[in-house]
Amino acid sequence: MPRSAAPGLLVASFVLLAGFALAFTLGRYPIGIGDVVTLMFAKATGSPSGLPEAVENVILQVRGPRVLAAVMVGAALAVAGTAFQGLFRNPLVSPDILGASSGAALGAVLGIFFSLGVFGIQGLAFAGGLLAVGAVYAIGSAISARDPVLILVLTGVVIGSLLGAGVGLVKYLADPYNQLPAITFWLLGSLAASGPSDLIPLFGPIALGTLVLLLLRWRMNAMSLPDEEARALGLPTGPLRVAIVSAATLVTSASVATAGIVGWVGLVVPHLARALVGPDFPRLLPTAAILGAGYLLLIDTLARTMAQIEIPLGILTAVLGTPFFIWLLASANRNWS
Amino acid sequence: MRLDRRSFLTGTAAVLLAPRRGFAATVQDGAGRVVTLPGTVERVFPAGPPAAILLYTLAPDLLLGWPRANRGPELEFLMPDVGRRPEVGRLTGRGNTANLEAVLLHKPDLILDSGSVTETYVSLADRVQDQTGISYALLNGRFDHIPQSYRTLGRLVGRERESEALAVYAEDTMKAVTGRTLKVPEAKRPLVYYARGPRGLETGLGGSINVETIEFVGARNVAGDQRGGLANVSIEQVLVWDPEVIVTIDQDFARDVRSDPRWASVAAVKAGRVHLSPKLPFGWVDFPPSVNRLIGLWWLGKILYPELFPEDLRDRTRDFHARFYHVTLSNKQIERVLAGRD
Amino acid sequence: MTLTGRDLTIGYGSFIVGRGLDIEVKSGDVLALLGPNGSGKTTLLKTLLGLIAPLGGGVQIGGGDLHTLGAKDRARAIAYVPQSHAPTFAFPVESIVLMGRTAHGSLFSAPNAQDREAAMNALARLGIAHLAPRPYTMISGGERQLVLLARALAQDPQFIVLDEPTASLDFGNQGKLMDEIVRLGASGHGVLFTTHDPNHALRAASRAYLLRAGERIADGDTRSVLTRDNLETIYRAPVRVLTDAKDGTNAFLPG
Repeated sequence: MPRSAAPGLLVASFVLLAGFALAFTLGRYPIGIGDVVTLMFAKATGSPSGLPEAVENVILQVRGPRVLAAVMVGAALAVAGTAFQGLFRNPLVSPDILGASSGAALGAVLGIFFSLGVFGIQGLAFAGGLLAVGAVYAIGSAISARDPVLILVLTGVVIGSLLGAGVGLVKYLADPYNQLPAITFWLLGSLAASGPSDLIPLFGPIALGTLVLLLLRWRMNAMSLPDEEARALGLPTGPLRVAIVSAATLVTSASVATAGIVGWVGLVVPHLARALVGPDFPRLLPTAAILGAGYLLLIDTLARTMAQIEIPLGILTAVLGTPFFIWLLASANRNWS
Repeated sequence: MRLDRRSFLTGTAAVLLAPRRGFAATVQDGAGRVVTLPGTVERVFPAGPPAAILLYTLAPDLLLGWPRANRGPELEFLMPDVGRRPEVGRLTGRGNTANLEAVLLHKPDLILDSGSVTETYVSLADRVQDQTGISYALLNGRFDHIPQSYRTLGRLVGRERESEALAVYAEDTMKAVTGRTLKVPEAKRPLVYYARGPRGLETGLGGSINVETIEFVGARNVAGDQRGGLANVSIEQVLVWDPEVIVTIDQDFARDVRSDPRWASVAAVKAGRVHLSPKLPFGWVDFPPSVNRLIGLWWLGKILYPELFPEDLRDRTRDFHARFYHVTLSNKQIERVLAGRD
Repeated sequence: MTLTGRDLTIGYGSFIVGRGLDIEVKSGDVLALLGPNGSGKTTLLKTLLGLIAPLGGGVQIGGGDLHTLGAKDRARAIAYVPQSHAPTFAFPVESIVLMGRTAHGSLFSAPNAQDREAAMNALARLGIAHLAPRPYTMISGGERQLVLLARALAQDPQFIVLDEPTASLDFGNQGKLMDEIVRLGASGHGVLFTTHDPNHALRAASRAYLLRAGERIADGDTRSVLTRDNLETIYRAPVRVLTDAKDGTNAFLPG
């Protein structure tokens, strides 16, 4: 092994632990990490915790679910981004490249436009993401070409634009008094409304998709080769591509349905992980998952503590992600050409 | 009669000197602009929902249409022929869908707008006026300007007598309600959280038009420290604020919040003081922020200071609907309005 | 074992590149495929690899249809060495070579000790074991080509197919690679490579196959097929022959 993955994984784990610690220490409602530990012990042993009911309530119903949601969404987006960067042979790719985010966005804003309840909005968003990528895949596959991956990307860009126009149209027609603010805020991404009831619909797709991607990580190195080369090595590239795209779309759609559009995580975290453990996918994917979880957790903590009002996640990830990315492009030590 | 020079001159003089309704007049609008009116104002185009409602209450016959078509439940509480007038789109404000050419097709004598009177909207008003050649009057949509707006509108459409009555009603309402509420010492004024959206996590910051009437009756807006428009907050922040009263217009939120464990420890939820604002045909607190909020003032008084407002709201509701919306409500309809649901 | 193309019509969709081609590679053979640009060399190569379906005729391996084998079984029989290309990610050389073991594992499996041994052996055989930990992006073009060859060796195939293996190599490395190809044939692999240089064919191949505009012009023993006339026919350009006075070996130069 050229270089041990252990130090990199350690750093990623440390970021996640720091994220947990800060997430439970900082916040609008005063609770401490000690309270969390006390409560966990109490739940584990079945004895009363001795904490005020309000504090227990905040930890179990409000802060806890939000932390778990951030961890899941962060890990999901990072893993999807890593997988796509490999599949599309391009380190500048993010999970939205096939239009999952645009489709989910259209689903969600339609849900808000038709005044559906929360589950209706999330359901439409999830379905929108899956349908968008399904359409891209169907159209892309119908166009036979030497480079199936390039066709997918181009189709994704086109469909993504179309869906974006759809979102624009809904914004235009929406009631400016009660729908438009909700739509705008949703599009910028936020975990402010996370509750225990969000975790179940989130957990299933993310667990499934992430598991599939982690299982396939030993084949991802070869999948990052041109299609003919990969096939000559014995890989069933067509079905594998479908599997990777499906899994990544599943986790992306579920993430967007819960948290809105949170960009830059799927783009930046794979690079950070690469800097820690190198570009080999078997070690890169788990590292990206852990790092992504910690990264989004830290950012979400910022989003809810910087001011009394919520700062949308998408804004923070862009503000933090852009300069980092420019630095990345400029720095000499790059693990990709 | 012989057409001789004398009768000719007399006739001409009579025509020239006769008092005519149709003299072009100028009126100063709510933004300080001088609006030149055409001979008679018979067709008025509302630039947005607040203007439409304002005009409907004063002169429903002049209203060309509604920015957004009224839905079934709303139509029940409006004059049948006026309520069904066509959708004409929104001219200004956040999101304009009306095409200027379409506006011209309606051949209005006047375009009426009520809302913000900042420089942006003044220049927008001037621009539309120049482009279409139609007089554009902009009124200040803030709650405390309602009496003034009525008086100005009365001058604009030649209904001074009727507008004076409505203006006085508005003034009386405001005086009566604040007369009772402002006596309450600061510390005893209730902490109110205004919840928007199905999750109730969107609220109005200090001074925003959405919480204007809540702040008008002296309540303390928990989000009021920060000034601005609408903002999103987390449930944690609401728990820290711990409001005593929650006002909402979203019936799903009003229903769900009672059983949602996250909200359970909020004082307002514990005390059962989560109030669903009536909204037929137009919201009593917001949606849109126009003269429809006048009746809401009594309602706010009652829910915020129950001891100060013991009277029944039904008669007042009946009276308001008759005076402003020109409909007579049955008892059942009044109950429906007060229940806050569709 | 034999890799045979029978009466092949090759091309893409409705675009036909070549017709009626019969070609055969036996274990231990080294076959050089020559032809000008656009003659269909690469298309023929990819059809024999099973990467493109033949439009007519068929490809057989060891008596059975290549077509009926799955991608994995095909990969265990035939390995492909493409021209070394600019890589997207800076995988370490060992990881690149390990990719050659894909066909020997299952869909979710990690490489085992046997795989790693095969990879290191392949690198050692080509004398580049010291490159194992280095990023693929930080080695020379010649070294990259050798790494891709090592990957093919790790695949443990019967046949190795190379597409213009000397294209990106400096003069010295070209000779080294050609010698390696000879060794591959000697060790029992069937080798097929395309080249623009008849001299390379002379040096490394036991047999040659000449293509022009999708048609077979000549094939057979290298020395008898690579004549000035044949070369001038396929390249439609004058060709000079230099013969070494001492041992009679020929060298070809553009005329």
